[in-house]
Amino acid sequence: MAAPARRQPTFLLVLLSLGMGQLKGLSEPLSVNPDSLEFAINLTYQRFSLLWSVRGLLDHQEIQMNFQIQISRINESNVIWTGNYITTVKSKESVHWSWESELPLECATHFVRIRSQVDDAQFPELRSWSKWTSWKEIRVLKPLSPGQTFSLFPKDNLVEAGSNMTVCYVSRSHGSEIACFLETEEIHEEEALTPHVTVFTLRNVSFLRPTGTNMHCRQKSTNELKGGLVIYVSKILEDPKNFSCETQDLKTLNCTWDPVAVTAPVNLHPSKRVQPPESYALYESFSQETRVCEHNTWCTWQVAEDSQDEYNFTLRLQNIFRERSVNLAFNLTHRVHPRPPFNFFLESVNSTNARVSWKVYPLRKPSTLLCRVECLQDEHVMEQQVNVSIGMQGEYLLSGLEPDTQYLARVCCAYGNHLWKWSDWVGQRFTTLDVAPSAPDMWRTVDPVPGGYNVTLYWKLLPKDHPRRKVLFYNITVENLDESTSTLLSVPATHSDTAVALSHSTYRISVTATSRGGTSPASALVVSGDSGDEKVEEERVVGTAEGILLSWKPRSGDAEGYVVEWYEQALGPLHGLQWKKLGPKTTHTVISPDAFRPGIRYNFRIYELSTKLMAFLLEKKTGYYQELVPLVNPQVTVEKMNAHSFTLSWKDYSTESQHGFIRGYYVYLKPKMQHCTQEYKKVALTDNSSYCKYKINDPEQKTFVVKHLQPQSVYEFFVTPFTSVGEGPNGTFMAITTTEQYSKELLRDQMLLRVLLPMGFCAALLVVIFYMKIQWMKQRCYPDIPDPYKSSILSLIKSKQSSNLTLLSPQDCTPDAIEVVHKLEGSKTQLTQKSVPKTELPLSASPQLADQSPSGGRACICFENLTYNQQVPEPCSCGHSPVPPTTQAHPLGLFSSLENIWKDYMTSLGEVPAGETGVNYVSQLTSPVSGGKDGLPIDPLVVEQCSEYKIQMVVPLGAPSSPHTEDRSLSSSAP
Amino acid sequence: MNGRTSRQDRALGADLWFSLPAPLCLMTLLMPPFRQAAPISPAEPIKQAYSLALYMQKNTSTLLQTYLQYQGSPFSDPGFSAPELQLSSLPPAAVSFKTWHALEDAERLGRAQEAFLALTQHLQLVGDDQIDLNPGSPILLAQLGAARLRAQGLLGNMAAIMTALGLPVPPEEDTLGLVPFGASAFERKCRGYVVTREYGHWTDRAVRDLALLKAKYSA
Repeated sequence: MAAPARRQPTFLLVLLSLGMGQLKGLSEPLSVNPDSLEFAINLTYQRFSLLWSVRGLLDHQEIQMNFQIQISRINESNVIWTGNYITTVKSKESVHWSWESELPLECATHFVRIRSQVDDAQFPELRSWSKWTSWKEIRVLKPLSPGQTFSLFPKDNLVEAGSNMTVCYVSRSHGSEIACFLETEEIHEEEALTPHVTVFTLRNVSFLRPTGTNMHCRQKSTNELKGGLVIYVSKILEDPKNFSCETQDLKTLNCTWDPVAVTAPVNLHPSKRVQPPESYALYESFSQETRVCEHNTWCTWQVAEDSQDEYNFTLRLQNIFRERSVNLAFNLTHRVHPRPPFNFFLESVNSTNARVSWKVYPLRKPSTLLCRVECLQDEHVMEQQVNVSIGMQGEYLLSGLEPDTQYLARVCCAYGNHLWKWSDWVGQRFTTLDVAPSAPDMWRTVDPVPGGYNVTLYWKLLPKDHPRRKVLFYNITVENLDESTSTLLSVPATHSDTAVALSHSTYRISVTATSRGGTSPASALVVSGDSGDEKVEEERVVGTAEGILLSWKPRSGDAEGYVVEWYEQALGPLHGLQWKKLGPKTTHTVISPDAFRPGIRYNFRIYELSTKLMAFLLEKKTGYYQELVPLVNPQVTVEKMNAHSFTLSWKDYSTESQHGFIRGYYVYLKPKMQHCTQEYKKVALTDNSSYCKYKINDPEQKTFVVKHLQPQSVYEFFVTPFTSVGEGPNGTFMAITTTEQYSKELLRDQMLLRVLLPMGFCAALLVVIFYMKIQWMKQRCYPDIPDPYKSSILSLIKSKQSSNLTLLSPQDCTPDAIEVVHKLEGSKTQLTQKSVPKTELPLSASPQLADQSPSGGRACICFENLTYNQQVPEPCSCGHSPVPPTTQAHPLGLFSSLENIWKDYMTSLGEVPAGETGVNYVSQLTSPVSGGKDGLPIDPLVVEQCSEYKIQMVVPLGAPSSPHTEDRSLSSSAP
Repeated sequence: MNGRTSRQDRALGADLWFSLPAPLCLMTLLMPPFRQAAPISPAEPIKQAYSLALYMQKNTSTLLQTYLQYQGSPFSDPGFSAPELQLSSLPPAAVSFKTWHALEDAERLGRAQEAFLALTQHLQLVGDDQIDLNPGSPILLAQLGAARLRAQGLLGNMAAIMTALGLPVPPEEDTLGLVPFGASAFERKCRGYVVTREYGHWTDRAVRDLALLKAKYSA
């Protein structure tokens, strides 16, 4: 706020002594007053400067004075600020002081007055205040230009974000008619300073955009834009970050930092308050030197020649609102970051060694550098790392390298006295020379085939050779030890196995690997057809966290070594066979978990290698590194189901191809009742239900009989295997319903008993009834001769017919001869004629269907005996059409019964006395055939009388027989 | 002989007008239009000026919207309009229809000439202001520059019309006069608004003016 006067202590002391002498010599008291008060207004910064002189000082007198300044606003009595300004005053020099107003000066007139006192210990008697100067009016002339009715102040002001800002406007109209907005938000905190001046206080102004924030005012009534202003907001200056200094050569310090966010808004008009870009300066406190930095991220500092080691730097950053700074104190030798070495060379590169040499840039002082030499393979693999202390140059021998391998050798250095930062790397790639590889690790599998055996050879490079060594090819030598012959095979380097077919001899097989560096020693085995696999029982093994432990008993005491091979059981030995060779005294080994996968079953074979390199199978093992729960559940079928049990079967389930050894099965059963039988274990479910669980400990037991069930009940079951880890996956229960109390067989038997027996009984009863019915029918319709007239049918006819129907009474008949009509077949009738012994007479005795007659009469059954048919009117003409007997149909059942009756009848005839056989008798069953008198005229009136039994009538003798008579066989003849 | 050559030139120029892209047309317009010594028909320069005015008319709305968009509230508020803002150094385009219709050719062309002369100078001023106020707005600055170039082109065409009609071409004057360089940022934003707004109004009026002349002097 105040501009301090320039002080010159030495000169002031002299002047003060002179002044004292003068003041002491004066008789009257010294009167020192401010005078000639002038002012100047700077609207850009909203400040006014006061300039006044001090009256009463002697020439060259210099005295410290205290000026009290009072500022009023609007009117003189409205004092808004009172403050003191202490400064040293010289004679004939004006005092300068300025005051910045929060309220834009355009909006109010200010008044200022000053009084003073001597604030100097040498003049204690002058400490009284002088009189106030008269009020000085400070007013901006014409805040509104001619014709202008409204104006906002301050124009284009620059403020820092978060600060408060006072805005006012001068309007020729009343302030209440104006509404002002900051961007789009209306401002309500307004205060009427005068009727034409209104003040706003904008609090916590925020940064919106570099191009400023608009504020404008409108006439409320007309919405007319009255005026506005732009407020430029500067972001708050931040502290510089990551300030750091270092030197590469102890001659120059390079200080760096992260640039801060730009705070300055856009470039304003030169007449406005401008915030320049942030400026950085570096200040060193020991030397008290300052350097203005040209860049906003780094600055250099020349190290003094006078061996200054300690430095205390301050990086200052400022804008017009505030200053930020960060400190950094350090010892120069602790901030050495050497430049990368140069002249890096590789020399004497062979298969295992290489020599590297390099130089470093000199430092200001003779110093020792610590250099790090690295040898990397494949960009990342650290092979060697060593630190070497050097002066100006260094060298190092890289040893123990692999032949024919590409390496990256590189070096970096740091200051040896105090390690702070390593330099950047300098390096070079090189490849070591090649040498012959080691003997390959070889193994085999032997498969007997007719006529010999197939040997599959597997080999791999030793870990130290693989995969760096570039093998060109493999040579395989197969030597028949029995016949002393040999075969050489060459296999490309990309192969690691091959198969050879051998006869029943003993062979020595050897493998060598050839690279550019030479051929490896041979790796050999002796194989024969007898591997002895069948003689060894297979055992089970289970892995642990360390792997799978395999142990064996040696076969002989002079073994060359042992070989453990293993492969996935599901894939077989031809896919992914692995092996491990062990020394002669070994009886166990642990295969690391890296070779196995959980849940996979592996087969192990342990061989002993004899001194003749022949392998003998010692043991066979199978197992899992880590057992898992079964992957799938068996497919269960239900068999032998009855009312109280059923059988579950899962015979197709394979126990060998699971993720663990199947130890058994769990059978889950959801019973109808909430209790389980003794052999089950009850397991409760979360939903308050429960099921019964039965454990089968035999993995080969793949059937299970569920007993003690209730008939016609629903049971749900579920079968899952289990391993040592747990049981199989959750599955859905299958539902099954038990049968009824009695099985189908019983039902079948009962059916027989309940249905067939009654049916048989009924049938027999029906036969009896029917037989009885037949008897009844016979009695009713055609009673046995000699009482045929006892027929009730006849009596019925008699009641209806006239008396011209004559019954033949036995007493009226003169028996001449008796012919017995005998029926040969069911479908044929026979007619016996008395006048022509042994002559067949056609007889129609079967019931005829009336509709078969040409006359087409109503269907009816007539019984007619034409034997008695004389010249009498036909009471019933039932279709006596000339129908051939061959066309007669026989209702079988009825007719068979009639046959029986017929037989009885014939029997009765046989018993008739000869004298009584003078009347021809024709069975009532026969029907007349056509011809002769058979063609009786059909009386339509008599047709209605069908279904009646036609009474037996006398048939005249000698009646012509039917032409068909000859075709009839004679069943019997009169005696 | 001279007259025939002149007719060929005009015919060639007329052909090129529609086939050349707009920037090249503007370049031709910026060249000294016609020789005073060669009396020509006013129909062709009227036609060319009318075409240019139509082309300008298509872009005036875009210019105004782009300008307002960069100035912040209230200028960028939807539907912003402040007809009360005027510039004394810029003649208003608004005129009653009766007065406008009764204008003589010389007065009609003279007023348009005066307005576009003032507009070219004001567009230059507005462009300079926006370099300070919105330095990161090359699109706005380009549109302001293009508008000024077209206004100058129209001035040349109008001079050609006046020459063809035998009217005296008014000398170029400093219509802007003393520029208040101390104008506040808000005042400069308002000034730019008035200039871009009046540029559109004057372009609309020029289209009507030239349409009237085109109908009057068409063959």
